[in-house]
Amino acid sequence: MIDWAWVGDHLDDLAWRTLQHFLFAAIAVAVGFVLSLGFSIWSLRRPRLRAALVTASGVLYTIPSLALFAALIPVTGLSIVTAEVPLILYTLLIFMRNILAGLDAVAPDVLEAADAMGYSGRARLLRVELPLALPLVIGGVRLASVSTIGLVTVSGILGDRFGGLGFFIFEGYRHSFPTEILFGALPSIALAILVDLALVALQRRLTPWAAAQPAGGRIGPAGAS
Amino acid sequence: MSSAERVAFEHVTKRYPGTGAGNPGAVEDLSLEVPAGKICVLVGPSGCGKTTSLKMVNRLIEPTSGRILIGDTDVARRDLIELRRSIGYVIQQVGLFPHQTVGENVATVPRLLGWDGARQHARAAELLELVGLDPGRYASRYPSGLSGGERQRVGVARALAADPPVLLMDEPFGAVDPIVRERLQNELLKLQERLAKSILFVTHDIDEAIKMGDLVAVMQLGGHLAQFGTPDEILARPANDFVARFVGADRGLKRLALVRVSSVDPQPVTTIMLGSDAAEARRRAAEDDFPYVLVVDERNRPLEWCRDDAIPTTGTVAGAEGLPAAPILDRLTTLKDALSMLLASDVQAGIVVDDTGAVRGLITTDMISERIRASAERSAVPSSPP
Repeated sequence: MIDWAWVGDHLDDLAWRTLQHFLFAAIAVAVGFVLSLGFSIWSLRRPRLRAALVTASGVLYTIPSLALFAALIPVTGLSIVTAEVPLILYTLLIFMRNILAGLDAVAPDVLEAADAMGYSGRARLLRVELPLALPLVIGGVRLASVSTIGLVTVSGILGDRFGGLGFFIFEGYRHSFPTEILFGALPSIALAILVDLALVALQRRLTPWAAAQPAGGRIGPAGAS
Repeated sequence: MSSAERVAFEHVTKRYPGTGAGNPGAVEDLSLEVPAGKICVLVGPSGCGKTTSLKMVNRLIEPTSGRILIGDTDVARRDLIELRRSIGYVIQQVGLFPHQTVGENVATVPRLLGWDGARQHARAAELLELVGLDPGRYASRYPSGLSGGERQRVGVARALAADPPVLLMDEPFGAVDPIVRERLQNELLKLQERLAKSILFVTHDIDEAIKMGDLVAVMQLGGHLAQFGTPDEILARPANDFVARFVGADRGLKRLALVRVSSVDPQPVTTIMLGSDAAEARRRAAEDDFPYVLVVDERNRPLEWCRDDAIPTTGTVAGAEGLPAAPILDRLTTLKDALSMLLASDVQAGIVVDDTGAVRGLITTDMISERIRASAERSAVPSSPP
């Protein structure tokens, strides 16, 4: 049922498409994270701005991905920008929600103690609030990575130069060739799982204190959102 | 070591927008002075403005009018960050940084002040030692693994890290159980004997105020200072009905809190070292008419009560068959606390220990009532002016 000959002939293609898939996702997650972090910090103590930004990112999230890719073609053509913009926009809601939830979860007594010890506002944000938000922030990175890796396949609609492993899915569909569909889908799932596991390991590394946190502690486990 | 400095409130008022005087947390024309090296306790019902007053010293809250001096300098004229780094701050919830180890938490202010790593490390170890936590065991742990009492000790160590002349403590022992609280209070008083900081201490508990304060400021709703004086003055001569009610009808009993265990000579107790010869222990136990002996460790610290007739006839004295060695009375325990602990204990005798935890002797309820009678007779004599 699986055409192993095709697989053997396309190992190079599979490897390169996997790499492309990973890079497309990584760019979107990285840009989305930086934008969201900026928006979150900017709006953290501005409740109206914050509500507006969270609502806007929520609205963007509701636009179907195929429609968004299609809508951008007249503006940015069949370019990498068209492929990346929707991926980035979809990460905003996940990141904004998790970063803000992480910052909100920092206990008021900890903030009061930090002020009273003589932290400046900036130092408090960088050395107390953001480190304490880290479990939820990394939880956001995990969610955004997995969902973006899934969405990269959809960008294959833009043509052969895009889509990562999605290219095989579209190709296999066009030629009614199940092996190709399977070898587009399975590696992208494996990629998502591997990235997620790597991020879990990263989180353990970066937040050794959270492991010691008893269950039901102040800051919930990562990815709980 | 930096010397303590006085803290003076001069006509300090804090009003919150949209409301007049009398709303919770407001402070009205507060003037008082904490002399250098003394503990001043602000006490009053919730909403009386005591915490607001405290937070105006390190400017977590800015006063509406009036000024607060540390030494001779108005805190409003000092750089905010520099001011806060020079004031120790301890709160009920402790507010330890969960992402930092105990050692890093303690070294917070030294780190902010730019001390080098080795000096921070040494200072953190020194302070953990000072509050009775073994640095080897605690410095690299995270706060989430500590008990309430341990957290509170770390909080005190952190507040003392840069040797500030002034310490602010907001209900520091409010979240721990009564036995731990009593111990932490004694530890703070012992620390204060050595460090002599100017301490502003907030509590809603009049017993704690009487025990801890060199001076007590009783505040009432609306942020008015109802009375400011020594604990003895507050108990002996409440300035008005509010203070009298707040202090309570059992003022006579509360004055017991002014007397410490150290003022009573403990009676001797037969102690037996764990693992010593049982026959010898039996013989010694029979020498007094107290029905228990106290089993101690090699450093003479109490382990348990053992009934005279429960000592084995042969062999050695093993542990874990008697009653817990309680209550343990420290020289700084008040007679009021001692009495209440005695009434709740199995053996009606309190074990007096010295600062190393070694047994000094026993105090019984009879000895406490004797002491009450003696001081009642003394206070019947008109007191001479100070």
